[in-house]
Amino acid sequence: MRRLRLAVPAFLALAIPQGPARADLIYVLNSGESNVTVIDSVTRTEFRRIPVLREPHHLMMTPNGRELMIADSAANEMLYVNPDTAEVLRRERISNPYHLGYSPDGRYFVVNSLRRGQVDIYNAADMALLARIPTPTQPSHMAFSPDSKRVFVTLQGTRGLIAIDLDERKALWTVDVGPQPAGVIWHNNRLLVGVMGGDYVSVVNPAEQRVERTITTARGSHTVWPSSDGHTIYATSRVDSAITLLDAETLAVKGRWDMPGGPDDMAVAPDGKLWVTLRWSARVAIVDPATGQYELIRVGRSPHGILVHPTPAAQPVATADPLVVPVVHTPEPPAPEPKAEVLPAAATPTNAALVAPTLMASAHAAEMPLPLAEPATTLLAAAHPAGGRPWWRRLSWR
Amino acid sequence: MLGTVLDLLARLNGWVFATLVEPACYALGLMDLVEDGHQWLDFAILGLVQLVVAWLVCRPLEAWRPVERWADRRAVRTDIVYALINRIGLLPLLAFVLLAGLQAQWEAFLTAQDLLPPTLEQLVPALRERPALAFLAYVVVLDFFEYWRHRAQHGFGWWWALHSIHHAQQQMTFWTDDRNHVLDDVLAAAWFGAIALLIGVPPGQFPLIILLLRLVESLSHANVRLSFGWLGERLLVSPRFHRLHHGELSAGEHGANYAVLLPVWDWLFRTGDWRRDRFPPTGDPEAPPALVRGGWLRQQGAGLRRMVAALRERH
Repeated sequence: MRRLRLAVPAFLALAIPQGPARADLIYVLNSGESNVTVIDSVTRTEFRRIPVLREPHHLMMTPNGRELMIADSAANEMLYVNPDTAEVLRRERISNPYHLGYSPDGRYFVVNSLRRGQVDIYNAADMALLARIPTPTQPSHMAFSPDSKRVFVTLQGTRGLIAIDLDERKALWTVDVGPQPAGVIWHNNRLLVGVMGGDYVSVVNPAEQRVERTITTARGSHTVWPSSDGHTIYATSRVDSAITLLDAETLAVKGRWDMPGGPDDMAVAPDGKLWVTLRWSARVAIVDPATGQYELIRVGRSPHGILVHPTPAAQPVATADPLVVPVVHTPEPPAPEPKAEVLPAAATPTNAALVAPTLMASAHAAEMPLPLAEPATTLLAAAHPAGGRPWWRRLSWR
Repeated sequence: MLGTVLDLLARLNGWVFATLVEPACYALGLMDLVEDGHQWLDFAILGLVQLVVAWLVCRPLEAWRPVERWADRRAVRTDIVYALINRIGLLPLLAFVLLAGLQAQWEAFLTAQDLLPPTLEQLVPALRERPALAFLAYVVVLDFFEYWRHRAQHGFGWWWALHSIHHAQQQMTFWTDDRNHVLDDVLAAAWFGAIALLIGVPPGQFPLIILLLRLVESLSHANVRLSFGWLGERLLVSPRFHRLHHGELSAGEHGANYAVLLPVWDWLFRTGDWRRDRFPPTGDPEAPPALVRGGWLRQQGAGLRRMVAALRERH
C-alpha cells in the first residue's frame, strides 16, 4: 500500500503534461517573524519558508543574477540563496546589513546599518571592508549615481540625505529633505526621496545639493519604485495607506490607490503586476496596474523587503531599491549596462558640482556610547554587603 | 490553528496600529520610532491575551479545588488592579525598546573593534534549522537568570523590602503574580530585557517567551490544590511547588523553591522543597498591615519607605 501511494504521484507527474509557463518565485521578508516566505506566482501559495535568525529587511540579486542575497540585519548575516529553488547556498558574517546595494559598475558593495549608524563600503570582488563611515542616526535606504562615484543615503533619524564619495570613501554633503526620509531612487538626474514624517516626495538636485521641489503624495511617504514600462513612478505611503502614481517624466500625480495595511516595499513581476508588502497586516498585495485592483496573500509578520524572481529585464536589481543603471544578468565581472529605454532620462551627473563640505565621520565618533554593561555592573557592585554572606548564598535578607 | 490565531493577532495589531499608533507617531513627528511602536503593541495585545488565557485556565481550577476559601476577597481585587496595570506591557516594552537602542550602540562599538557578537544559533548550528528548539534554548537560559534574579530579590535587604509586597498576600490567587512594587517591576524588566538582548533573543520570539513564562507563573500562584507528581514537580513549577515558596514560614531564612518555570534550578542549587502533601497558608508574618491589606497606592508607598529604611540600615 505504501509503495502504491508513492507510485501514484510519480505516475501523475509523468502523465500530466508539463505547463509551458514556469512560475515566478516571490520572496517576502517577514521582518517581525525571522523568516522568508517564498510564494509561487502561479498557484499563489507558499512554496517554501526559509528560517533566518533575526530580522530580514532587504534583499537583492547579485549582479550576475545567479544568487539572491537576503540581509538579516540583527543577526549580522547575509544569506545567499539559489533564486530558482529557494535553497540556502551559504551564509556569510557581515555587520548589521539593513539596506544593501552594488554600485552600478559592480566595484563596490554598500551596506547601511540602520541601528548602528554606519555605512560600510566593501570591495565587491572579495567583500573586503574598505571603509566604515559613521553617520547621524538611522542610515536607511540608498541610491547610487549612475557613474558609480557616489552613494546617497537617507538618514531616517534626522532630516538628511547624505552623499558619500565611494572612491574617496568620505561624506561629501548632506541636504535637508524633510522629516524621517526613507526610500530613495535616482531618476532623471535627480534623487526622489520618500519623506516618511511628511506627505511628500522630495526631489533633490544632487548637482546643486538642494531640494528642487516636493510632490505631495500621502502621509507617511515611504518608498518609490518605477513601473515596468518606465512611464510611472509608484510612491507608497504608510500612514494614509496608499500608493500614489506619478508621471515618470513630469512627476505629476496621476492617480492614487488606497490600500489598507501600510504599503511598504514593492517589486514588479514580468506580467507587469505590482507586488507590495503591507507592513501592518501581514499580507502582500498583487496590484493590477491597469485597474488598481488588487488581491491579497497572507505572509508572515511585518513583511518588508520583496523581490520577484526572475527579475524582469526592465527592472533594476543592483540595489535592494531601484536605481537608474540596472545590471541584469550580466556575466562576471559585472559591468555597467545602462538601459536608457527603462529610465530614459538617466545620465551621468555633473560631478564637478559635488563637493565635500562636511566631516561627519569625526563628528559622529564623539557620540559613540558606552557599552551596555550597566545593569549587571550595578548588581554585582552590591554583591557583598558589609558583614554578610554574598547575596547568592543568602536565603534571607536579614 | 496556531497559525490562524497568530495571524488574527497580527491583524488585530495591524488594525490598532494603523488606526491609532501610527497616526499618533506621525502627528508627534516620531515616525522613526514607528517600528518600535509596532513591537510595543505586540506586548500590549499579548498582555491582554495572557490575562484572558490565565483567567480561562486558572479560574476553573481555583473553583474546582481551592486550597483556601475567603468570604472577603477585597485583597484579591487589589491584585487584579496590579495585573491590569502590569500586563499592558509598558514595563517590558520600556526595557526592550530602551535596551534595544543601547544594544545597537553597544554592537556598533564592538563592530568598530572588528567584533561581531554571535547569536546562540551561530554558536550551536544545530539550532539554526530548528526554531522551536532554539526557542526552548532561549527559554532555558532566560529562566536560569530569572531564578537568580529571584534569589537576589530575597538576598538583598532593600530588594526584599520591595519584593515583600508580593509575599504579603494572604489570599494568593493567579492574579497575585503581578502584585509587585513598580520599582521591582522596573528592575525585573531591565534584568530580563538586558539578558534577552545580550544573548540575542529573536524579536519575534521575545513576546512568546514572556507569554509562556507569565502563563506558568499565573498558574503557579493559583489558589488550587494541585501537584504535578514526583516527576512533573521536577519538570515544571506547579501551584504546590510555588505555594511552598509563598508559605508563611518561607519568607525568611526558610526560603525555598525560587524557580519561575523550571524547578531544576532549585534542584541544582539545593533550594528545592519537594514535599508534595503541603499546601501551607501564604503571607509574610512580618509584613505591616499596609502591605497586606492596603490598596495599590498604599502598598507602593509602604514598599518604597521600607526600601529606604533597609538601605539606611545598611549604612
